[in-house]
Amino acid sequence: MTHSDPPRDADAECPAGGPPAGPEGRGDPDRRRFLSSVSGVAMAGGLAAGYGTFAALAGRYLHATGTATAWMYVVPVAEIEPGASLAYDSPAGLKIVITRRSGGSQDAAPSASDFLALSSICPHLGCRVHWEPHHNRFFCPCHNGVFDPAGQPVEGPPKADHQPLPTYPLRVDNGLLFIETPVEVVGQDQSAHAPGSTAGMGEPGRHRNKA
Amino acid sequence: METLTQWLHERIPVSGAQLRELTNEPVPNHMKRWWFCLGGTPAYLFVVQVFTGILLAIYYQPSSATAYESVEYITNQVSLGWYFRSVHKWGATMMIAAVILHQMRVYFTGAYRKPRELNWGIGMCLLLCTLGLGFTGYTLVFEQLSYWGATVGANIGERVPVVGGLLRELLLAGPQYNEHTLPRFYILHAAVLPVCLVLLIFIHIVMLRLHGVTELRFEDAPPDQPTHFNFFPDHLYMELILGLVLMIVLSALATIVPATMGPRADPLTTPEVIKPEWFFYVTFRWLKLFGPTFAILSMGLILFAMFLWPWIDQLLRKVPGWDEASVYIGIVAVFVITGLTVWEAVVAH
Repeated sequence: MTHSDPPRDADAECPAGGPPAGPEGRGDPDRRRFLSSVSGVAMAGGLAAGYGTFAALAGRYLHATGTATAWMYVVPVAEIEPGASLAYDSPAGLKIVITRRSGGSQDAAPSASDFLALSSICPHLGCRVHWEPHHNRFFCPCHNGVFDPAGQPVEGPPKADHQPLPTYPLRVDNGLLFIETPVEVVGQDQSAHAPGSTAGMGEPGRHRNKA
Repeated sequence: METLTQWLHERIPVSGAQLRELTNEPVPNHMKRWWFCLGGTPAYLFVVQVFTGILLAIYYQPSSATAYESVEYITNQVSLGWYFRSVHKWGATMMIAAVILHQMRVYFTGAYRKPRELNWGIGMCLLLCTLGLGFTGYTLVFEQLSYWGATVGANIGERVPVVGGLLRELLLAGPQYNEHTLPRFYILHAAVLPVCLVLLIFIHIVMLRLHGVTELRFEDAPPDQPTHFNFFPDHLYMELILGLVLMIVLSALATIVPATMGPRADPLTTPEVIKPEWFFYVTFRWLKLFGPTFAILSMGLILFAMFLWPWIDQLLRKVPGWDEASVYIGIVAVFVITGLTVWEAVVAH
């Protein structure tokens, strides 16, 4: 040690009024050890609790709310015959095919379960499938997943785990069909698809085409 | 001058002798062979990546609305932007290649064996960190590959037992890619992973110094040759030559095959042909061959076995006649990985 500071050895200098140097004055060694351990554990516990709370708060901060969706009006249900489909363009630019299942009576009031709106998001790892008319199938270019027109997996990794194409939620209210879709798609020019004041209540047929 | 030396010595109390002792560890003679200098190569390339990465970050704007345009600006408008972006891209490729080659060298020479098992584990963490940097790096351009790569990567993460769903949501900032996603990949790429890498490199080198480099003897080495040489200056010069050659190669590659821009990300359309960067070809093909549950769990299991390989090797060598089992398993693994990579490279789907 080359510096000239005074030595800091606590045993070398006991301040006036400090604990007496005799063995009886230092207290019971077992008790000292116990208190030392307890205080060590308490401090470690306090630190763990403090930083644990901090980590939990950080987890909540990082947990984002997710993508907004909205219910969109599509068409009066009576306009889709059993077995027929229509192509629906969502305000966010998603192209969705909505099919009315065949087999139901046209006279009975159809419910949401009579319709099917297939999502193009592959259930395998999230890429977009596309329709191949020449093969009459949906194909996922990422990992070669193949789906039939009803969205059932017929080849590739989705078949191994039986993962059909997901569907969009549908609802029938007073004879009108509604669909729940994302209202925005990241990185897109939103003005091109902005629903504006018509969001969720657009003119019937505004985003649809007869298939 | 003497006053200055004295002033410095008072503030940095290390003597020349202590410095020599710190740096001049005897290096085993086999390290004169270039193949054995691969450990320093990724570290050198990491420095290049940090330098070029800082330069790129000056113009890069990490948001889905601006990222692609800012990379385009760096590539086409900024003076020598194309060069630094290309060096960064080629540096990443070479860094990953160097880590893989270094790991192969360590594996096939059995340098991971007792007492160096933990340093092998640190090396595995370094490999994963490097691959993570490669992955997050190409998500930042916000071209088609960036978007779909991030989506697929996050969905793979979702398959991790118990915490998978949370992992995916934390990575994507929600159930799917949204406007808060890209900054997370940027923070991972530019802050979290580099810091982890620096800490791991430090521990890796400290462990290496504590144990010393594994000594290997070659049949063709002359018997009267000294077994060790000095780190300073002999080995340092080797590393400097290696650095110089790498810089020349990097510059040449960046100039001859500069980094290009793919089409801008379109979340509504996955391109007809899409592939990740070459270092993920093997996992990409694996995911095509098997159902997702098996493919992802088996990859996790393989990674786990790689971490534990020093102990697995120890068990294998206890079986009579299986002394060289690890070498043969390694050869098969290299052929399988190379085969799957080439397969993925040559076919469209």
